[in-house]
Amino acid sequence: MSKNISSLSGRQGLENNLFERISERPDKETLAALAEEFLVGKANTFGAVTFYDFLKPENQGKEVYVCNGTACLCAGTQEKLQQDLEKHVSADKIGHMTCLGRCHENAAFQYNGKNYSNLNEEELSSLFEQKSLPGTDDYIIQHRGTPVLTGEYDKNELFDLIRNFLNQNSADVLDEIISSGVRGRGGAGFPMGIKLEGCRNAAGKQKFIVCNADEGDPGAYSDRYLLEKQPLLVLIGMMAAGYVCGAEWGVLYIRGEYPESVSACESAIKELTDAGLLGQNINGSGFNYAFKVVTAQGAYICGEETALLSSLEGQRPEVRVRPPYPVQEGLFRMPTVVNNVETLAAVPYILLNGGEAYKKIGTERSSGTKLLSLDSFFNRPGIYEVDMGTSLNTVVTELGGGFKSKVKALHIGGPLGGLVPLSKINDLSVDFESFSQNGFLLGHASVICVPFDFPMAKYIEHLFEFTADESCGKCFPCRLGSVRGQEMFEKAQEGSYKIDRQLLDDLLETLEQGSLCALGGGVPLPIKNALQYFEEELKGYFE
Amino acid sequence: MKKAYINNKAYEINNGETILSFLKRYMGDKPVPTLCDAPNLEPFGSCRVCSVEVALEAGGRTKTVASCHTPVQENFHIYTETESVKRLRKNIIELVLTDHPLDCLTCEVNGNCELQDVAASVGIRSVRYPEGKTHLDREKDLSHAYMTSDLSKCINCYRCVRACDEVQGQFVLSMAGRGFESRIIKGMDTSFADSDCVSCGACSQACPTSAISDIFESKSIVSSTKTRTVCTYCGVGCNLEVASTNGNIQSIRAPYDAEVNSGHTCLKGRYAFSFYDHPERLRDPMIKRNGTFEKVTWDEAYDFIVDKFNQIKATEGPDAIAGISSSRCTNEENYLMQKFIRAVVGTNNIDGCARVCHSPTALGMQRAFGTGAATNSVEDLHYTNCMMVIGANPTAAHPVTGARIKQQAMKGKTLIVIDPRKTELAKYADHHLALRPGTNVAVLNMMMHYILKENLHDQEFLSARTEGFDGFKEEILNLDIDKMEAVSGVDREQVRAAAIAYASAENAMSFHGLGVTEHSQGTYTVQQIADLAMITGNIGRRGVGVNPLRGQNNVQGSADMGVQPHQGAGYLDVTNPDINKAYKDFYGVEVPSEIGYKIPEMFDAALAGQLKAIWIIGEDVVQTDPNTQKVIKALKNTDLVIVQELFMTETAKYADVILPGASFLEKSGTFTNGERRVQRVNAVVKPVGNSKVDGQIIIDVMNRMGYNQADYTPDGMLEEISQIVPFFKGISWSRLGKNGLQWPVAEDGTDTQILHTETFKRGLGRIDFFPFEESNELLEHQEEYPFILTTNRNLEHYNCGAMTRRTNNVEISTEDLLWINPADAEAKGIKDGELICVKSPRGKVDIKAFVTDGVKPGVLSTTFHFPEIMVNNLTSDVHDSQAMCPEYKVVAVDIRKAKNTAFRKAGELVD
Repeated sequence: MSKNISSLSGRQGLENNLFERISERPDKETLAALAEEFLVGKANTFGAVTFYDFLKPENQGKEVYVCNGTACLCAGTQEKLQQDLEKHVSADKIGHMTCLGRCHENAAFQYNGKNYSNLNEEELSSLFEQKSLPGTDDYIIQHRGTPVLTGEYDKNELFDLIRNFLNQNSADVLDEIISSGVRGRGGAGFPMGIKLEGCRNAAGKQKFIVCNADEGDPGAYSDRYLLEKQPLLVLIGMMAAGYVCGAEWGVLYIRGEYPESVSACESAIKELTDAGLLGQNINGSGFNYAFKVVTAQGAYICGEETALLSSLEGQRPEVRVRPPYPVQEGLFRMPTVVNNVETLAAVPYILLNGGEAYKKIGTERSSGTKLLSLDSFFNRPGIYEVDMGTSLNTVVTELGGGFKSKVKALHIGGPLGGLVPLSKINDLSVDFESFSQNGFLLGHASVICVPFDFPMAKYIEHLFEFTADESCGKCFPCRLGSVRGQEMFEKAQEGSYKIDRQLLDDLLETLEQGSLCALGGGVPLPIKNALQYFEEELKGYFE
Repeated sequence: MKKAYINNKAYEINNGETILSFLKRYMGDKPVPTLCDAPNLEPFGSCRVCSVEVALEAGGRTKTVASCHTPVQENFHIYTETESVKRLRKNIIELVLTDHPLDCLTCEVNGNCELQDVAASVGIRSVRYPEGKTHLDREKDLSHAYMTSDLSKCINCYRCVRACDEVQGQFVLSMAGRGFESRIIKGMDTSFADSDCVSCGACSQACPTSAISDIFESKSIVSSTKTRTVCTYCGVGCNLEVASTNGNIQSIRAPYDAEVNSGHTCLKGRYAFSFYDHPERLRDPMIKRNGTFEKVTWDEAYDFIVDKFNQIKATEGPDAIAGISSSRCTNEENYLMQKFIRAVVGTNNIDGCARVCHSPTALGMQRAFGTGAATNSVEDLHYTNCMMVIGANPTAAHPVTGARIKQQAMKGKTLIVIDPRKTELAKYADHHLALRPGTNVAVLNMMMHYILKENLHDQEFLSARTEGFDGFKEEILNLDIDKMEAVSGVDREQVRAAAIAYASAENAMSFHGLGVTEHSQGTYTVQQIADLAMITGNIGRRGVGVNPLRGQNNVQGSADMGVQPHQGAGYLDVTNPDINKAYKDFYGVEVPSEIGYKIPEMFDAALAGQLKAIWIIGEDVVQTDPNTQKVIKALKNTDLVIVQELFMTETAKYADVILPGASFLEKSGTFTNGERRVQRVNAVVKPVGNSKVDGQIIIDVMNRMGYNQADYTPDGMLEEISQIVPFFKGISWSRLGKNGLQWPVAEDGTDTQILHTETFKRGLGRIDFFPFEESNELLEHQEEYPFILTTNRNLEHYNCGAMTRRTNNVEISTEDLLWINPADAEAKGIKDGELICVKSPRGKVDIKAFVTDGVKPGVLSTTFHFPEIMVNNLTSDVHDSQAMCPEYKVVAVDIRKAKNTAFRKAGELVD
């Protein structure tokens, strides 16, 4: 991260955004001109675009992107999909995207700016004839407990909510959020109120609220649900956060793999604008607010908040050291709140019903509700909202309806979440504490089933490979360790090599203790789970 | 007192410091291994080998954190050597070695490689991983005049990228790709030679391995001797650490503990040293006989000179002799030269290059404040809120200060640039007032007009500390804004905004260069800059002040030492009888009390037949003084021309006697930088051939002319100087230490970072109003010569280029170029790279066109580094009305496409 580039990019701000500019036309000539315009180096604009899957020179000009996320991998649908697609598009025009959030039915791909999943051959043919098909993105949406996020909200009621909180003292609005006890839903579980208070108290010419909508965890699509089906909840959460902190900009950083989320949010912003609830001096309150929707360009690490901020500035999205924390020095070196979609979406409920009402939902330390996304191995794949503390078994058997075919483990909370063997399902409830006490991680609470016949060594290799592919490359342990781990398991499966267990343990410890961020630091967890719970299956690979 | 514990022992912590800096304070330089950390870079946290364990109570549960970026907090219990962190460090290095060539014995940095040191300290004995992907096949980049890279040795610590960004601010280096495939790139993945690299070498010094280095292999340990000295190339005064073996200089790096440059320097300081033993160095004294130079012994040369001097003195009087001293020489040598001229010859005909650069600064600031030197220090950039750079291009001429200003500007500090050209800093400026050359006075008056109109002046400061404000106020409020806007060509609203920015900043500081002084109204402009500081109360504390960027390395010192015809050593007035007596008593001989010739007057006197002998040290007046042909005529008309030089310069060609002097690498003494910092210069090698330390040459002549002066030693000379120069009172060779002292230095050794904190040297600060006046150059010639040429210098070359043209710098900047606006180029049918014939009332030259919007239509700009061009054939006789500094910045010229496509030297073009 370069303070200089942060500031120089900040001179142009969000209206002439360097990241969007390099994303629009990543050719060398344009990048050189942009370097001149933004007073940065050519190495900076060029170096930034080479980071992103969708921008790097070798990936330019692809027509179709096949999902290579974990859920589609486990479902085993992608090989056939690739063959089917090659009947319509030449192989060199087919690229990859990591998880399109179609984990509920798999065989996912993106074409012409839209996502599709599970199309039959006939549907595929007509898609390539017509260039577009109406969306077929059906999944179950259900709640057990309080529908904080999945409830039906009346639009006018939500608009009134904005008018109401803008009439209140912003300190009172903050108090409601603090008293709700709502914790960050992106995985880290940091209390939102404390973050807002930190930003509110920080000095800065400008402040920003950034919605982290870069839901990169393969298997997760609950944010996608909120962005597409409940965008007003997210936007109003951002406005309330802005009102509390004195920020006049809300930025939605939405992953490029979710084109429908981008358009849904843009429509919702238009509704707010039309209702006179955005712009200068909103409803006579003296509060100004504007939204900016930014489409990401394919890099898992951008889900890490500091990498996301660097991305937004047009820098290479490499993880920053903390402190300074974003609330002190974030986007363009100004105080910034970065919150996950689901966290922000809880705010309207809190403001409508009071912080205390929200606090009563869930457990003592994990208040509120949690969304879970279930993949296609469940009989009833979809998005489920449960009160924190609900038993995992309820989610798996009652809501998800059990498995379509035999499964040996659930990978919960994304690639860095724990690998839960079936035997442990009954021990867990959906809250931060239960998972961590049992040696797992609730994370963002996506649930991917590892099929019974899927080799655990291959799964571990996949996790290392994912980390290697997505590592920003800044810290030594992650950049090098992820590759060496992947190579060890690759060679072991080929049969030419037996893994030195001490070396593997050293590697996992190095990643866990030494990595700068949760990517390198987090991947040892599921691998250690696998080594513990599938020792028998794996022992042939070791010396 | 807040405490934290290191391995169970309590120590005091500083607020906000990192664990690493806390550890360093108590455990020494390397308390834990580090790779990505560097003294002049921000904490980055990539290598993780500095990790330590931290508990919140003794024996409590620990967490592993990287010490370089984790702030220490009260009651932290830090454990630096637990089994767990030792294992972690070793395991990280083992990973690094899976993708690093193990060819240490033949590696350039063998024995001085940080990776090697860390690997040794963590005890790696084997790499256990199976063979996998590596990047060992990356190719070397040897494309550049100085920089090299071998990225197979790269460990991705980003130190080079960060140095290029955080230290130099050039952004040449970055990473491409991500994860395991991320790699260092130059520009858009090009070579060093094809990139925008400015060759500062910060990346090479930062690199912990040999991944980025330079042609001198500056990190190799071949050289055993390291000498700390001060750079010769500008007034910043960078400290250099020079590595040498057996009397040969190998390489130069910048010491991190140097207060002036903190581990940074530019390509001139770091790489342009090889001139010192260039085959063309003058190695023997020479006397011109029958038009050709003949080698002679020192004794022959001295006898010849002394005879002539004695003879001229006897027949024509001492005032027929003059000396030009050199601002590249030490304080001690300058002191000796003025002493020789005054006490031995008996005239005040002594002057130096300050005449043609900052004489208006010295005079103007003396008039306003009482002291003709920078009021503050470069360090103050950290405390200021607004920087005003006027008539200066520090990223080229004072690169380390320029880089520091740029760093502050990039991070959002207000920057005002007043310059006709779109300089590097102008690109980053909030306010760039691109005025017509020669109209500084108009623009500064407009600024002060708006400050008073907006009521942004500091009445309290004005009442307490200044005089003359009331009269000034009346004049400035009546300023004819319409007219000033028209003459300067700068929109009034732009000026107003800049004025408000300067006046309303909590602390505002100004920097100025020769774009202020080298004008017919140069001294007045300096006084205006002082006025601006005083009316806004920006003087006498941290982060404010008036700060001239002194050009040559010791131009401040040469003036301090008395190298000017009206003031002796310590700026004392030679016409004052009391002072005359003091000098007489001190030197033990009569000294003259009439003001002597300034440099331009010397040439006039020579042409009039009144000046018979001139001794010029280290100043190429033919190439660098204005109106070349006039200077040549003047030298030809002088009976005895002695030139003491390193090379056969254009001036040396007209000498009767040539004395081979010594370069800065061959002598000891002191230089005084632009912030009044007197620093020790230490000889690295002996003078080449039969050349001699310049100070000793002067002493030899003094002794032969009957004045008893002890042999040259820096400590002995400083002792003498400290007894006559009041502000050197507390200075001694031993006291100066590594980082020098800023004058005035009191008897007890206390030095001074900020001047005028309580009162001005002259009592009250003097505020004067000066109306804009058009230069005679334009009044007389503009109709016939409608373009304005303004001259300047570039990054790669220093003044006449005698030194830098004899280094690889000449591969990077090969010739002088003429900046011309695209509209003018089109109108004249000139394409980029074509030769333009530039004609002034004095002469004409052919220069290659560089078509750029860096200058406005009607304005041209070029450098004067190459004798092939001899740009000063064009420049005029107009001088600053007060200090006689030539007006290099405003030359009336006309242009056309050159008749010849092949280049012809200036001399061949002269009518």
